[in-house]
Amino acid sequence: MAIEDRAAPISSGAGNLWFAAPAMLLFGTFVLWPLGASVYYAFTFWDGFSAPRWAGFANFARGLTDITYLMSYVHVVLYILATLVFEVSFGLVMAVLLNSDRPGFALMRGMFFSPVVLSMSAGGVLWTFVLDYRTGLLNSVLKALGLGDWAQPWMSQPETALLFICLVSGWKYAGFYMVIFFAALRRIPKNIYEAARLDGANALHQFFHVTLPMLRQNILVCVLLAVMGGFAGFDLFFTMSNGQPFGATEVPATWIIKQAFDQDQIGYGVALTVILTVVVSLISIVYIRLSERANVTRY
Amino acid sequence: MSRATERRRSPAEWLQFGIAAVIVAAMFYPAIWMVYSAFKTNREIFRTPFALPKEWQWGNLIEAWEVGKLGTLYLNSVFITTAAVAMCVLLATAAAFAFTRLEFPGRRLMYRLLLVGLLIPPPSVAIALFTQLRDMHLLNTPWALILPCAAWQLALTVFLMRAYFNAVRPEMEEAARLDGANVWQILWHVSVPMVWPAMLTMIVLNTIAVWNELLFALLFITDDSQRTLPVGLVRFSGYHSTDYALVFAALAITTVPILILYFILQKQVIAGLTATAMD
Amino acid sequence: MQAFKFSLAATAVALMLSTTAAMAQTEVRFTHSFTGGASRVALDTIIAGFEAANPDIKIKEIVFDDDQYSNQGLITQLKSNEVPDIFFEWAGLRVQRNVEAGYAYDLSEAMATDGWKESFSPSVWTDGAGTMVDGKPYMVPLSFDLTNTIWYNKTIFAEHNLTPPKTWDEFVALAKTLADAGETPIVEGNNEFWPLGNWAGHIAAMVVPPDEYVAAFKQEGPFNTSAFEKALELLVQLHDVGAFNKDMQALGADPAMATFFQEGAVMHPIGSWLVSETENLAEEGFEYSQFNTPVIDPAHPLANSVIGTITGLMVHKNSAHPDEAIKFLKYLTSQESQIAWAESGQMSPVAGVSEKAKLDEQTQAMLALMSGAPAIVPPPDTTYPVPVAEAFYQAAAYAAAGEKSAKEALVWLDETVTAMGKQ
Repeated sequence: MAIEDRAAPISSGAGNLWFAAPAMLLFGTFVLWPLGASVYYAFTFWDGFSAPRWAGFANFARGLTDITYLMSYVHVVLYILATLVFEVSFGLVMAVLLNSDRPGFALMRGMFFSPVVLSMSAGGVLWTFVLDYRTGLLNSVLKALGLGDWAQPWMSQPETALLFICLVSGWKYAGFYMVIFFAALRRIPKNIYEAARLDGANALHQFFHVTLPMLRQNILVCVLLAVMGGFAGFDLFFTMSNGQPFGATEVPATWIIKQAFDQDQIGYGVALTVILTVVVSLISIVYIRLSERANVTRY
Repeated sequence: MSRATERRRSPAEWLQFGIAAVIVAAMFYPAIWMVYSAFKTNREIFRTPFALPKEWQWGNLIEAWEVGKLGTLYLNSVFITTAAVAMCVLLATAAAFAFTRLEFPGRRLMYRLLLVGLLIPPPSVAIALFTQLRDMHLLNTPWALILPCAAWQLALTVFLMRAYFNAVRPEMEEAARLDGANVWQILWHVSVPMVWPAMLTMIVLNTIAVWNELLFALLFITDDSQRTLPVGLVRFSGYHSTDYALVFAALAITTVPILILYFILQKQVIAGLTATAMD
Repeated sequence: MQAFKFSLAATAVALMLSTTAAMAQTEVRFTHSFTGGASRVALDTIIAGFEAANPDIKIKEIVFDDDQYSNQGLITQLKSNEVPDIFFEWAGLRVQRNVEAGYAYDLSEAMATDGWKESFSPSVWTDGAGTMVDGKPYMVPLSFDLTNTIWYNKTIFAEHNLTPPKTWDEFVALAKTLADAGETPIVEGNNEFWPLGNWAGHIAAMVVPPDEYVAAFKQEGPFNTSAFEKALELLVQLHDVGAFNKDMQALGADPAMATFFQEGAVMHPIGSWLVSETENLAEEGFEYSQFNTPVIDPAHPLANSVIGTITGLMVHKNSAHPDEAIKFLKYLTSQESQIAWAESGQMSPVAGVSEKAKLDEQTQAMLALMSGAPAIVPPPDTTYPVPVAEAFYQAAAYAAAGEKSAKEALVWLDETVTAMGKQ
């Protein structure tokens, strides 16, 4: 991560450690230390009750042949791709659409962002009710429109369950990305658009040839956030389906928690976490290297 | 910009408004629906899901408040969130300042370690963290939530604050340095006032995250009197899961204040993120 | 005079101090998962009564939602600094595990005094009951649980001229009749696998030879046998006639129970705790009853068995106040308290209570069923290692949902159980 290309520091010396130290101390104590302690447990068989027994690499070997675990990566990748569409792209489009100083737009921006503010419990309960097979809002709407045949147990079918979780995730987080892109849009000087308009470019043309290039850095950072956040995705999956039906919506985080808490296999659960962290780190490092090489972002 | 609001709207602008309004209404409708459903009876919710309540059942709110003991939960959540957010934003600002404006041994290593925090799903260290908090005798106290939440929010906060520091030119700070100010003074009297919008944004984002935090709250605090709102809600909906009126009432009580708070602070959030811009 | 006044004052102060000391309360931490319903009300009343009779003891309840309790609510408390003095548990493997991990207080001494042990029905102290380890009692029984029985809507049955089936084939035919008439014959909320899983465990226990059954769950033998296949085939049979609700796999256990009470389905296989929810969830005039899973193979030794277990309370080994805790438990299991407990819809393990209490007809029927049953099959997830039981539950779900054939499900099951290693 190239931090060399910044302005010269205003101060050098070990004494400056004090500014970063409190944060690092807090972080080290409550994030790094438990992570390290967890790594020890990855090499044991432990049900959380009795004493841990040494397992060597058994947990890791089991993890690499665990079909549900491997499929969870497929699901999470699908989820991340959906995120890029339903959250990042949708957020970007809405940022452009809501970019106006006319009355009403500020309110609309707020309304669009509001699902982000809700807690997962609220979102989960709400959407579980909407998608309920017998009494849910969605099926009621379909029946009211005469499309009763389309009414299905959405969350009980492997094909549709993951899709709906992605849609709900889009509903919840598109606003977050919209706000980030909107803020960036505001910084684009108006005269660039004026110049383009004078050159005969219409709105669509402006979007692709002015807006997008100027937002390139933001887009790359948002994609990185979406990817890293996606791998850690837990709350929504846990609340809405917890891996059902039949592991069709299982993602690494929910499977790990299941092993550790429901199945009393803490050593195994931690081993899976270690694998997950390694995978995500590798992906992030590759991504960062690539985007640095494109000389677009500094980290 | 003022010229834009004086000009009459072109058809294109009306189209923009129309499309945006439809999409935004669809996004916002579930929240509205949840709130007015809170005022219905269970029967109404099932039979006439879209209609407004025939009679506004204010009693649902009172019942939800009492049954769920929401008063205590609110107080706990407020205390824990305020403490965690204050701690996190202050520490993160100082660290971001150090990572961008200062040089010291281990700077790059520390920053990369911090980024690791963005990669790890919190649930995975839950048990180890639990054991650690127990050994520190912090379990079942507010600190069991305040300290870990602040710690886990640090990664993203430092990341975003650092982007903001990088976007703002260091000229004022350099000038202050030439004037003979020491680093501490520069941080407090020059940098913080400059990055204040970003700090405000991080305060809002962190507040949302900590307020809604569920897993740690579930595991580290067991006493009813110490619990936070999300945990109370989960328990609520678990047992009363089919008494939708009551559940929606509880959800309405807990989310409407946050929504109102957000709407009030909306301008600041945008202002803060406008400047963060991450380039 | 001075001396007298002084000593008077001193005595007064001493008296005040000692009274304050006596008034200082001992707090007994009691954790459980009775979040509501008639039984919770009964429990709270009993606690209030105890506190009134013992002003120096205060019972502090720490309540968790049922699933959270058994997954992380209990374990986090057992390992914390402030351990619960009393905690709720299921008899069987869980008790044994708690003893081995050092969380359980040996109740031998307490049970021997005041005839406490004898006050319970002898069936709770048998080998298979799971309340004792190495001959020592560690659990104070609180309820008999009928883990699974088939509840049905009497009104809808009458509409279709149906009566409780005596054999499995009758049961399938009955389900088909209902399905063809457009009803949802069975509703099950199986997103956590245990509702259908418990039922499947019972069905399998009545089809598979007992030795083979136990061996499979203990990982000493395979699940993929013709007997297990026959058991899972029965679930596939039900699926094929359209007996199950379409959203079985995504539905939660509580919403499923509510659906039954709202007449969204005709039958609901679940445990005895349904009774105490009736007040909350059922409409006026809702008529229901239950029948045990009908006979599948009359020649099988467990043909007319019921599936059930004992639930109760344990005292923590490191409890700071074991004497006060035991005092409360004795009060809770006294005749008077147990009568109130039974009348809230529970089956009391204390001898003589069921005769004296005014039980509702449902509880009476269940009691009759349990005491008349030739055998009680314990549920797999409190008797055998949890991961193995859960895997079996999942295989049953595959079969019942039509996702896998019975054979495929069992092949998958054996692979999964082998991969997890010996538990």
